Amino acid sequence: MKSVEPIFNDGFAGQPPAKRALGYIEDQKKNGKHVVGIYCGYAPVELMIALDLTPAVLCAFSNATIETAEATLPANLCPLIKSSYGFIEKDACPFYWAAEAVIAETTCDGKKKMFELIASRKPLHVMDLPQLCDEPEALDNWTTMIKKLKGFLEKTFEVQADDEAIEQAIRENNQKNRLVMEMLDHSALENPVLGWAEMLDIVFYATPGRGKLINDTLEKGVKVLQARVQNGYVHGRKGAPRILITGCPTAGDAAKVFKIIEEAGGVIVALDSCTGMKPFSEMIAENTGDPLRAIAQRYLKIPCACMTPNTRRLFELDRMIAKYRPDAVIDIVLQACHGYHVESFKVGKHIGERHHLPFLKIVTDYSPGDIGQLTTRIEGLIESIER
Amino acid sequence: MSRSAGIDIGSRTIKLIVIDNGEVVVRKKRPSTYNPMGLCDYLLEGVSYDTIVATGYGRHLFKNYRKGEVITELKAFAVGAAHIAPSCGTVLDIGGQDTKAITIDPKGGVERFEMNDKCAAGTGRFLEIMAAALGFRYEEFAQEARLASRAEPINNMCTVFAESEVISLVTQGVPRSEIALGIHKSIVSRAINILKRVSTGRTLMFAGGVALNSCVAGLLREELGVEVIIPDDPQLVGALGCALHGQRS
Repeated sequence: MKSVEPIFNDGFAGQPPAKRALGYIEDQKKNGKHVVGIYCGYAPVELMIALDLTPAVLCAFSNATIETAEATLPANLCPLIKSSYGFIEKDACPFYWAAEAVIAETTCDGKKKMFELIASRKPLHVMDLPQLCDEPEALDNWTTMIKKLKGFLEKTFEVQADDEAIEQAIRENNQKNRLVMEMLDHSALENPVLGWAEMLDIVFYATPGRGKLINDTLEKGVKVLQARVQNGYVHGRKGAPRILITGCPTAGDAAKVFKIIEEAGGVIVALDSCTGMKPFSEMIAENTGDPLRAIAQRYLKIPCACMTPNTRRLFELDRMIAKYRPDAVIDIVLQACHGYHVESFKVGKHIGERHHLPFLKIVTDYSPGDIGQLTTRIEGLIESIER
Repeated sequence: MSRSAGIDIGSRTIKLIVIDNGEVVVRKKRPSTYNPMGLCDYLLEGVSYDTIVATGYGRHLFKNYRKGEVITELKAFAVGAAHIAPSCGTVLDIGGQDTKAITIDPKGGVERFEMNDKCAAGTGRFLEIMAAALGFRYEEFAQEARLASRAEPINNMCTVFAESEVISLVTQGVPRSEIALGIHKSIVSRAINILKRVSTGRTLMFAGGVALNSCVAGLLREELGVEVIIPDDPQLVGALGCALHGQRS
C-alpha cells in the first residue's frame, strides 16, 4: 500500500500480524507481566487482565510444522491443531515459550485430545465448554468453569483479583472491543478503507493487548482510518465485489484464500471468525454485581460451530450482512473441522434463501496444493457476481 | 469482424479454437505435457488471430507468457455451451482433474456452480488410472464396461485407494468388465451429487474429456432422466467459449 499511512505506524507495519503480537507479549514479559497461553476465543481474557496476566494465542497457522505434528497426530486432523502442536513439538513457538501456563478450552475433540499430549510440559488448565449453550445449566456450568480458572490462575501465579478488579478489567476490555469494532467498521463503507491484512493486524494485536497502551494505539488507528476516508482513499478497486468471510479461524498460510480473493478482484469487507470480529463484537454487561457470571454470559454467545444448534451464527450473519452489505459469502472450513464442515450446509441454505447471495464453501488446509482449484472457484464466484 | 482465438490449457489436454465471422476456422488439441507453454506455441504456430482468451489451469501462466485475457473454465464452458445448445440450462464438465456443474442463463452467464475440492477423485485422470489397473487401453475401457451384466460396487473415490480396491477385486476373481462398470457407476453417482447442488431438472450439456466416454454418458442419461446433450467434440467447449468471449469484448 503506497503512500498510505499504516493503521499502526510501528516497526511491524507490513510484517505478518503475529510479529506485532509477539513484540507486544515480549514487552509485557520484560515489564514483569506473567503470560498465559490460550487456544480459542472462549478464553475469558478479562479475568486474565484482572489478575494482571497477559494472554498469548497459541493457535498456529503455518504449514511448516505440520509434518512434525503428523509423526504423532493423524494426517486427517485439523491443520490448526496440527500446526500448533507441531510448533510445540519442534520447540519453535515463541508464544508457547512466553507462556508460563496454558488455558485449554474443550472447543473440539481434536484440541481436547491434543491438550492431553502437551499437559505435562507446562501447567495446563482445561475448561469444559458447554456445547448446548442456550440451556439454562450452560451458564451456571460455564460460570463455574471461569471460577475454577480463576482459582487455577491465582494459585499458579500467586495473584488475586476481587470483583472490583474484574469490573475494571471488563470496562477496559469493553473499551478495547468497541475500538476494534470501530476500526473494522471502516470496511462497511461503500468504499472500504482497509483490507483483510489490516483486519488481521488489528485482531492479532488487540487479542493479547490490554490497558491504556492498546486503547491509545487503537484510537490512533481509528484516526488513521478516518483520515483515509477524508482523503478519498479506497482499498482495492472501487466497486469491487464485496466478500464476507465466515467459518474457521483463518490467517497465515490459510490466508491464501484471502490473497486469491483480492487477486481475483474482490474485496473482503468482513471477517466473521475467531481471527476476525467474533471475539470483539459483543460487550460484557458492566456493574451486574456478579462480574464472573457476566463474563460467562458474553462468552457463551460466541457462535462457534462447536455449539448446537448454534442458530446464533445465522442471526449474527444477518446482522453482519445488513451492516457490511456483501455481494457473496465465503465459508472457510479447515480440513477435518467437522462442526464447521457440517454446519456449512445450514449456513449456505440460509444465505441463499434469506439473503439471495451467492455462497461458496471452501474446505482447505495450510498447504499450497489447492491454490489452482481455489483460484478457479473464487474467480468463478467473482465472475458470476460481475455478470 | 476480427479473428478471435480461444485456448483451454487443461491438466490433460490443451485445446485451441479460432473463429472468424462466427465460423470455426481452426480447431486443434494435443495432450498436455510438462511444458504447457511450449505446447501452446506449437498449437499456435502459423495460426493468425487478433485477440486471444485463455482458460484452464495454465491460464495465468499463459497471460504472462503471451498477452491475452483470461477467464475461468466455468465462464468459458457456460459461454461455449449456451452457443452450441441454447436450450441447455446446466453444464457438467468432467475434465482431467476437475468436475464442474454449472447452471447458466440463456446468454451463457454463470448462475451457480459447484466444483470438487483439490482432490481429482472421479475425474478423467481417475478413469485413466483405473483402466490401467485393469489392463485396458482407455478406448476399450468404456466399451467393456458397457458389456458387463452386473456392476461390482466400488467404494473408494480416492484414486489411490480405489486402485487398491480394484486390485483386491481382481485377485478375488471378479470379472474385470464388472469392476469396470462399477468404476463408471461410481463416477456417475459422484457427478450427480455435484449436479444436485446446482440443478438436475434442466437440459444438461455434458462436456469435457470424460464426455467422450460412452459408458459415463449412457449412465448419466439413464440416471438423470433429462435430455443430455453431448457436443460433437465435448473437449472443445471451453476453448470455443473463450473465442466467443474474445469476440464479444
